[in-house]
Amino acid sequence: MYELSIIIGGPQGSGLETSASILTYSLARSGYGVLSDREYFSNIKGRHSYVHLTISSEKIPTFLTYPVQLVAGLDHETIFTHFESLEDGGVLVYDLYIEEKTLDTTPSMEEDLKKRLNLKFKKFGIDGSVKSLIKYISDVKKIKPIGINYSDVINEVSKKIALPASQAARYTSSIVIGAVAGLLNINKSNIEYSLIRRFGDRRELIQHNKIIIDLVYDKVVEEHGPLMKLERSKLDHRELMIASGNDVIAMAKIVGGLRYQSYYPITPAADESFMIESYEKLEVDGKDAGSVVVIQTEDEIAAIASTIGAALTGARASTSTSGPGFSLMVEGLGWAGMNEVPIVITYYQRGGPSTGLPTRGSQSDLLFTLYASHGEFPRIVLASGDHTEAFYDAIEAFNLAERYQTPVIHLLDKFLANSIKTLVPPDLSSIVIDRGDLLSNVSGEYRRFDISKTISPRAVLGANTIMWYTGDEHDEFGHIDEDPENREQMYRKRMEKLRIADEEIPEEKRMYYYGVGDEDVLLVGWGFVKGVAIETVNTLYTKGIRAGYLHIKMFSPFPSKSVKNLLNRFEEKKIIAVEHNYLAQSSIAVRSSVGVEIKKSIVKYTGRPIYKNELVEAVLRVLEGEDRVVLRYGP
Amino acid sequence: MVRKPVEYQSDVWVDWCPGCGDFGILASMYRAFSELDLSPEKTVVVSGIGCSGKTPHFIKTNGVHTLHGRAIPFAMGIKLANPELTVIINGGDGDLLGIGIGHFIALGRRNIDLTIILHNNTVYGLTKGQASPTLKRGLKPKSLPKPNIQDAVNPIALALSSGYTFIARGYSMMVDHLKELIKKAIQHKGAAFIEVLQPCITYDNIHTVEYYKKRVYKMEDSDWNPIVEKIDEREDKMLKALAKSMEYDEKIPIGVFYQDKCAVSFEERIHERIPTYLENPPAKQKIEQDGRPIIDNITFKKIFNQYIVEVE
Repeated sequence: MYELSIIIGGPQGSGLETSASILTYSLARSGYGVLSDREYFSNIKGRHSYVHLTISSEKIPTFLTYPVQLVAGLDHETIFTHFESLEDGGVLVYDLYIEEKTLDTTPSMEEDLKKRLNLKFKKFGIDGSVKSLIKYISDVKKIKPIGINYSDVINEVSKKIALPASQAARYTSSIVIGAVAGLLNINKSNIEYSLIRRFGDRRELIQHNKIIIDLVYDKVVEEHGPLMKLERSKLDHRELMIASGNDVIAMAKIVGGLRYQSYYPITPAADESFMIESYEKLEVDGKDAGSVVVIQTEDEIAAIASTIGAALTGARASTSTSGPGFSLMVEGLGWAGMNEVPIVITYYQRGGPSTGLPTRGSQSDLLFTLYASHGEFPRIVLASGDHTEAFYDAIEAFNLAERYQTPVIHLLDKFLANSIKTLVPPDLSSIVIDRGDLLSNVSGEYRRFDISKTISPRAVLGANTIMWYTGDEHDEFGHIDEDPENREQMYRKRMEKLRIADEEIPEEKRMYYYGVGDEDVLLVGWGFVKGVAIETVNTLYTKGIRAGYLHIKMFSPFPSKSVKNLLNRFEEKKIIAVEHNYLAQSSIAVRSSVGVEIKKSIVKYTGRPIYKNELVEAVLRVLEGEDRVVLRYGP
Repeated sequence: MVRKPVEYQSDVWVDWCPGCGDFGILASMYRAFSELDLSPEKTVVVSGIGCSGKTPHFIKTNGVHTLHGRAIPFAMGIKLANPELTVIINGGDGDLLGIGIGHFIALGRRNIDLTIILHNNTVYGLTKGQASPTLKRGLKPKSLPKPNIQDAVNPIALALSSGYTFIARGYSMMVDHLKELIKKAIQHKGAAFIEVLQPCITYDNIHTVEYYKKRVYKMEDSDWNPIVEKIDEREDKMLKALAKSMEYDEKIPIGVFYQDKCAVSFEERIHERIPTYLENPPAKQKIEQDGRPIIDNITFKKIFNQYIVEVE
């Protein structure tokens, strides 16, 4: 096999994340490309979580899809939740101990799913137990069940490592690693390498995990052979970086010169700040390479306020949040706009409104970020489509903020935040740090808001001059001024910056088109849609449908000319917006910016990512005449 | 040559009501700044919204007039990014103890080297005299349609329990006394809080100059030593200060309630973790070399080696 989709699942807090990480490191060490999405509830222990991976020997995957070829579960809920996701002839790894479990004895499962499954079970003559379900899927769907008695494995290992079974049980999730690695025929030494990478000098953990993984690995290979052996990788990268979206942003901010980050804990943003804090002291070969102050504030209002304060002193400063946090930040956003303060807000969207789906993804805050806060002021809204884009964008966000002296909202989503990808390490040789018109020394009387220039030279608090700032309309010095002529000039000066940004930032950096030029179907998307959309147009192309993908990266200032020119090349009924929201928000932005109405849409708002299989099918439906397709796939 | 108080006056006309207590606070600040010879370039006066919010515009140092209730977190960002700056917050009772009370408590927990001057006139002046969080229940200044139905907070007790390490009360009409408090607060290393009693002559006909004149007395005139010189004095002095803070009706004490000289400031805590912090704080770090990041491909891989896998 050259491409494989797998799911490993289990209760939240059971070590699943660690197992997925070790598998990913092992696969990367073997040269494979991996993209994995983690789906979980807002819960610490007990509710069902799973990792959905695409593994490829030919390229770094950019999408997730169904059905999967392998499901490996730590518990019965995984079997119940994912058996329908298995391809006919696929493989199911499960614990023999749970065969007698039934839907009714699975209290952690949500009643909605139980109800739906009960109806299906009745129809298919399944009595509600795992055993009966497995019999059904092996008979009808030709699924190969691989049952392992997990407690036997634990008991056997417990003797080997002389640890009571109750303590050895914490290695249960490694049974799944052993089984998956055996089936995929991952080189054992690469698994050991990953254990060492993961656990460092905790040698006991490495040894214990290795024993259990090897044991299951050998058992599975002996009984079933490497059923899902992957082709040798054709990727020729000498090294791969493994990182989540949160990780990538943290790295980029550090490279980009971030020196002050404040945050209030929120999913799915907080991991980024944690990572930056763990790198607060930057040292290379024992030499100081700078430091970042990371502050956990009392709320998001304080987070943005202190970010602005730090930015006023000249430090590159940012805050990182999600929807509910940004809702609290909007007054501060307006102050930054009014006072021309360069700040970066890293915004990971999740399902709203209100608390919504706090651990699930969404792209429903585009319009909010474009218009948030009262009054009018310029802002830059930049949305990244994948890990690599996000890395470079996070750095450019600071450059734009300082060049145009205005807040920049870097729009991301939970899909990106929590998906872990193998990446080619970034190339920093072409990265520019542009601090804009920043004065290191001021001579004579200083006017912070010098009206003779649209973008006034910026001195910072602590420089050899003094200045004032106020949220009120102000004069050139920063003092309150309600004079109508001054108001008109200052207002225009601020707003004009957006026009200058629009002139200066090349449109080809604000939108990308993926296609060869002869396409007659156009998908329009942004953010995490990018990966699956590109894969979808490629797949459609092989089916004889010439589809291209327009990826919009910057919504303010909007790349109007290029988008308009592109849209004009396509028939109205063949332009389709693809988004994770209800309103197809980017089409609203397109309409208000370029006056073209996108009438077709494919949307998903279940909180789960758009999968390739459903997107391909949805495009075909639209081409057959449907105006709107709502996607629902994925548990 | 020490700067004179007048050198701290900006060119902006002071548009408070004639006779407002804010004038006394402003005069005390000019004089305190002068006696400390604060460098205008290295001083930042931060404020929130309301009559007190305008204070920075009247002072010829850096001034940052922020959002309602948010002066503290703005000031925190300024101070932590550049700890060599002297940062003084001016806020009203509604600003600091109403909309911004969460930040007020959080600053105590952090003990950042900031000075807060609370303009306490018991009403929201700029919006025509609504009850502020320091107005006692049952009182009805002339601006209120009905007597106040909510209880008041005790700013001194709140500051004590939040962790402020310098806590004082002054009175806007006693400028010399207040000036000394402001000087001490600025010189204190850690979160310093001064509650300034101040008549609102337009909307509050209860807390008048006469009212305070009868009640205010200086703690330092009696045997009162609020300073913690050794850690084991903390509990005793804090409890005494707390008891003193309850005295607020017939007699109102002013002066220093509590000062802990042993407390570790937030900046020192950061410095323990990042040894280069104080000499090379966020605002002073070089982040580029000829327009390029200071981290190149090789250093990147060294710093983030945990995330990089060499392919077999």
